Order: sequence, then C-alpha cells, then structure tokens
Amino acid sequence: MLNSRMIEFIHVEREFTRADGQSVRAVDDVSLIVPEGEFVCLIGPSGCGKSTLLQMVAGLTAPSSGTIVSDDSEIDGPGRERGMVFQRDSVFPWMRVIDNVEYGLKCRGVPLEQRRSVAREYLRRVGLSHVEKAWPRELSGGMLKRVAIAAVFANGGKILLLDEPFGALDYVTRRQLHNVLLDLWDEPGAERRTVLFVTHDVDEALTLADRIVAMRAGRVADDISVAAPRPRTTDSLLRSDMVAIKHRLLTHLGLESAPRAGDAA
Amino acid sequence: MSLGVNAGSDGAVRRRAGSRAALAAAIKALDPLRLVGAVLFVASWQVASAVTSPIILPSPWSVLKRAAADFWSAPALSYYGVEQASLYANLIYTTENVVIAVAFGAAIGGVVGLVSSRLWLVRAVVDPIMMTAGTVPILIAAPFLLIWFGVGRASAVSLVTFYVAVILYVFGQRAARNLDPIYEQYALTLGAQRRQTIRDILIPATVPELLGGFRIALAGAWGLEAVSELLGSQSGMGKILEVLAGATDPQGILATLVTLGAAAMIGDAVAVALIQRFAAWNFVRS
Amino acid sequence: MTGGANGRERFVAFGVFVALAALWQGLSLIYTAEAQPGEPMIAGWQVLFTRTLLSLSDYWQGGLGVPSVADGAERSYLAAALSVISHLLYTLARLVTGLVLGGGVGFLLALAVSWSRWSRSLVEAPVQFLRALPLLAMVPLFQLWFGATFLGQSLFAAYGVGVLVFAGTVNAVRNVPQIYIDHARSLGASRGQVYRTVILPAILPAMRSVALLCLGAGWGAVLGAEYLGAQSGLGYVIVYAQQFAFLDRMFLISLVFILCTSASYWVVQRLFARWLVWAPASARE
Repeated sequence: MLNSRMIEFIHVEREFTRADGQSVRAVDDVSLIVPEGEFVCLIGPSGCGKSTLLQMVAGLTAPSSGTIVSDDSEIDGPGRERGMVFQRDSVFPWMRVIDNVEYGLKCRGVPLEQRRSVAREYLRRVGLSHVEKAWPRELSGGMLKRVAIAAVFANGGKILLLDEPFGALDYVTRRQLHNVLLDLWDEPGAERRTVLFVTHDVDEALTLADRIVAMRAGRVADDISVAAPRPRTTDSLLRSDMVAIKHRLLTHLGLESAPRAGDAA
Repeated sequence: MSLGVNAGSDGAVRRRAGSRAALAAAIKALDPLRLVGAVLFVASWQVASAVTSPIILPSPWSVLKRAAADFWSAPALSYYGVEQASLYANLIYTTENVVIAVAFGAAIGGVVGLVSSRLWLVRAVVDPIMMTAGTVPILIAAPFLLIWFGVGRASAVSLVTFYVAVILYVFGQRAARNLDPIYEQYALTLGAQRRQTIRDILIPATVPELLGGFRIALAGAWGLEAVSELLGSQSGMGKILEVLAGATDPQGILATLVTLGAAAMIGDAVAVALIQRFAAWNFVRS
Repeated sequence: MTGGANGRERFVAFGVFVALAALWQGLSLIYTAEAQPGEPMIAGWQVLFTRTLLSLSDYWQGGLGVPSVADGAERSYLAAALSVISHLLYTLARLVTGLVLGGGVGFLLALAVSWSRWSRSLVEAPVQFLRALPLLAMVPLFQLWFGATFLGQSLFAAYGVGVLVFAGTVNAVRNVPQIYIDHARSLGASRGQVYRTVILPAILPAMRSVALLCLGAGWGAVLGAEYLGAQSGLGYVIVYAQQFAFLDRMFLISLVFILCTSASYWVVQRLFARWLVWAPASARE
C-alpha cells in the first residue's frame, strides 16, 4: 500500500545567523506533502532555500521550527532511508569504484558475495562494468556521478535526494545522466522511489518531474503538476501545456515578467 | 608550496602508467641537466679542495675513500672513547634511535592531531602547548633531558619523539580540518555509523597528508638525533662528529656527514615508497 | 567560528598555562632534590624570581658601571637584568645576521636560478645533496672552518636558512599558476615586468610558510651553535648552567628564550598578514 504522505513538511523553517550577526531565513514556513513514488523537482533561483530544504530531509541539518516526517517517522539525522546524491563529487577517492558502490551495504553488514553481486548489477545498469576496479581519480565527472547514483540505488532506501547533481557537468553528459537516472528510477516490476530533485534548470525539471515545486525567498511560490507521459522526448517539451509551465517557471525564476494575456494560468 | 608529499611530482594528478608514460618518466628522472649539475658540483668541490689546504677542505674523492675505509672498521675511534669503532655500528645506533622516536612520535602526534579536530576540548588544551612548543627549537629541551635521563639513548630518543609528535600533530589536525565534510555526509546518507566514518573516511583520507608530515619529520630527525648525541652520548654518529671535531679531522667529519646524509636519503626514499603505496589514490578534492 | 567558541577556547588556553604553572609549583614542593646545597632542581616560582634571578648576575661580564660577580661584586637584580639582556642580544644578533645573510642570498640566488628551466635543473642535484645533510650535525664542521666565533655561528645559521629559502623560493616560483604569467604577457608585459609584478607577489603566500620555517631553523641553528662552543648568548648560558646541574637557572633562561621565539613568530605572522591582505584564506595557510 503506497504511503500518500511519504515526505511531509509541516511549517518548516530554517534560520541562519550570518557572520555580521544578521538573521537570515533560508526556509520560511514551508508545508508540503509528497506521496510515495512521486518525482518532485524543487526549482528556484540561487538562495531560495531549496538546497537547505533538501539538507533537512537528508537529516544533515535540522529545522529551526516545524517538523519533517518521512515514512511516518520524524527525521532525526541522516540514514540510508534517504539516500543523497550531492552536486560536488562525494565518491570516496581512496576506494575503488566497486567498493564505493557497495559501501552502504557493507556498513549494514551484508555479506561479501551478496553485496558484490548487487553492486555489480547496478554498475552494469549505469554502464560502468568496465571500470569496476578503477580509482575515482581515473574517472571523468560524468562517470563519477554514475558511481554515486549506482551507490545510492544499490543501497536501497525508499527516498532519493539529489542536490543539483548534474550542475557541474556539460550539457551532453547531463542529458545522458537524465536517462541513466530515469532508467534506474523507473524499474519495471519494482516500486518507484520517492525523489526530491533540486535544480535551477527548467528543461531538466520538465524532463524529469511528475511535479514541480517552485521556491522563492524561502517560500513555496508554485506547485505544478506535470502531466506529460513518459518517456519524455524533445517533442514532449514542445507540448502547449509544457510550454505554459515553462513560462510560469521562468517567471518565478525572475527571467520573464508576468504571464502574457491569453495564456492558460 | 609543496615541500611535502608532492615534491617532485608537480602536484599533478598521476595517470595510470602506460609504457609510453613510463619511458617518458624515466628520461625525465635521468634528466641530463641534473646529471650535469651534479658533475659540476663535484668538480667545483674538487677545484676548491685543490686550492685550499686539506685541513680546510678535503677533496671529494678522499672523503669517499675515508667513508668507505671507516665504514666497517675504524680502530682510531676507540682511542677517543667511542664505544664501537666503526661508522657502521654507530650508524645502526643512530638509525635505531631515529626509527623508534619517529615511530612513537608519529603515532602519538598523528592520533592526537586527528582527535583534536573532532573533540574541541582536546584541541583547546593541546593547541596552546603545541603552538608555543612549535615556535621553540626542540633543542631547548636537550640539556634538561640530559640531566634527567643522563647520557644515553633515552634523552636523545625522547627529544626526537617530541619533535616528531609536534609535527605530526600539526599535520594531523590540519589534514582532518581540511577534510571536505561532504565525504562524511555522503557516508551518513548511505547509512554509515559515526564509528564507521572514522575508520572508513577520517583515517584513509588523512593518510596522504600525515605521510607528508612523516616525511618532513623524518628528514629533520636525523640532525636532531646527531646533535643530541653530540651533546652527550657514548655512541652514535653525533658522538663520532664530536670526537673528530676535537681531533681537527675535517676529512673524517665530512665522511661521517656524507654517510649520515646517505642514511637520511635512504630513509626519505622509504618514506616516499610508503606514500606511493598508501596514497596512490590521492586526489582528495578539498 | 562564532564568538562564543573562540572565547571558550581562549579561556581554556589561559587555564592550561595556569595549570602548567601550578603543576610546576606542585612539583617543586614534591621534588625537593637539590643539585647542590641551596640550588633546588625544581624551583618554585617564588624562588625562580628571587634567588635564581639574582644568581643570573653571575653571567654578567662587567661593564657599564656594574662590576661582575667574578670580580667580587655582590649579586644584584641590575646585574642579572643586564646579563640576561646582553646574552639575549648576542643570540639575537646571530639570529638576525643569519636570517638576513642566508635569507637574502638564498632568495636572490633562487630568483636568478628560476629565470630559466636550464639553471633550475642544473642546481637541483647539488641542492638535494645539501638538504640531505642534516643541518644540526654540521656544527662541528663550521666550528672547524670558522672557529667558535660570532662569524662562524652566524654563517652556520645563514647556511641553514639559505638552503631552506633557496629551495622554498625555487619551488614557489615553479608553482606560480601559468595562467597569471600568460595573462600578463598577453597584456604586453616584458619578462622583467612579469618577474616584478606577477611572480614576486604571487609567491608571497608560499614565502610566508618558508619564512616561518626559516625562523624555526634559524633559532635552532643559533641555539645549537651556542650549545656547542660559544662564549656568549642564551644557549651558552643554558649549557654552562647545565654543567653544574643548575636546573632552575636553565629553566628561567629557557622561559626568556621561549618568550623571544614566540614574539618573533608573532612579529613575522603579523607582517605577513599585512602583506597578504589580498590572499584568500586558504592561501594563507
């Protein structure tokens, strides 16, 4: 039975004190419900609080007030249930690729044979079987991202958090990784994980998400459902409803002014 | 500036050695200009020694001959009160002291340094002591140690141990503080326990920098050990230096120094080999 | 780091030094052995600042209207102060001479050598050889060459400092990011101008580490040289006192020495902090 409130934000706020003593509200009274299996993109300009929100779900930082409930229990620190892919490379340079992918399983005490086969399977699915024994320093940025994705997927966990994971990569690599991610997420026969994906690339959000939450100045500015069927192609982005969403998002990002008269709201 | 780990490799990311790359590396190592430089140096030494009297500057060849001759047996030394009359035996004595002291000092200093980065109280207590101790030449402790331990191994070894511990403390703390927090966060989101992150992240990630500090500390340890022996000892390279200085024997002094220097270079090569073995993966992005 | 944590650490640091001083006092009460009658091995603070301090006037060589104890004069605080100051000045003089000579020559030579890749490769082997010879072990050699004179001790310090400065500067110049040099050349700078306006400022952060290293090496070299055959200077006083096991005098002089070294480090760090105002925090490490 799917959990309709897989991730629930209840009046979540997060304040920081700057070096000069001023108080900054990075997240300002956010309430949101994410059902299980939904792919949600958080989009917004720099400093709108989307990364902070993600860090709170990951348990790496705590809200100043309000609570976040994930899978019916309050979040109380990081854990494998909420795996995270970071924007910068977090893959351990001192472990070979295969050791990186099976790391989470090793921490849990899964026996060697079993975790090796799981790790190998996920490496195969991200297309990195041939570099199983390589050191991270021998890999390109895109390959390192695949290792990180494989590691998080191999670890199980019902919730997946991605913090602008492809931001540092070039356009071609980014598009390839979209496919890698969606292939892993949309496993036939298995239940989809709940995904929170932070980005400020509108096209990326339209390609990946079931639902796009736009943020501005720490608050939720918009909550848009994306109905286009999967798999999404270049033509999917040209659908009129998709174009309308794009205009809306660009407005929230401050790149366009108020919607033109005559467009669907 | 890279007087530490990456000295000699330009700090560049190493590529997996294909045969072509290996050949290029070999040619670079045997850089003809470096050889020319070495030859010029020895030649100028030879010229200088020819111009001055052997009492001031013995020729390079005579120094080498003397080092070889005295290495296994130097009966003259026993007249001066040196316990074992050969360069070899005293070199062993000195090396033993250096190895013991460096091993202990590195272990203590490195561990305390790493711990100090995690426990603020440890850092708050140890830092002020280390920072003041770091400004003072460790030699200041030598006369005290001589009185408390008397003449013998203990005073020399403890002196060098302090020295190494301070250096490794600084390197350990710095390595841990410079460690990108992203690795630990990532590990936690993969379900690792704090305890596991110490084993799987803190230690492996700081090893390269610790080994760099180890190499630097080892280099200085030889001289410190020699001086400590100079001040009060019955054995060791320092004792030989003291004795030969009193006998106005520059050839012997230079021979001893060259031998000591060779030992230091071998020690350095060992340290570099350790670095190659345990930090082969190195490109921690910080 | 917030102000709270910083204040907390300063408090603990202060507490540590107070605790160490108290520990010393406690030890002096427990360990009452005496090297000679009336000269305790571990002297409590009250003794250190009275009798021990007075006894330092033994090391005053006389002059300036204050006769020396060796000539039969009474011990006095004035003589003690003069003796400490005069020996301190001797040590400082050796240090400064060594730093200036070694630092200056080493720096200029390094810049000259860095001019071309050829000269860099030429000197690489000799410099490696010299660096492999443990510095402190070379005191006897310098004594043999120059005798136990002020010149000899200063030259020894200069040698130690010079080798360090040379190697460090060559390395620093080599590590200047090529992109800055290219940028300057593409704006029309000549080679000399590049040296003056790009290389020199760019190596300043690295030179900071080199300077602090040299300071340490300099103090060590001077102390070592004074231990092994000087007739003046703080190191000489310590070793002279050691021969009679006057631990209390050694301790007091050591405190003076520690104050000086700490002060010198503080000065150099402040200097570089001003010169490196422009550098990002990581470069100032």
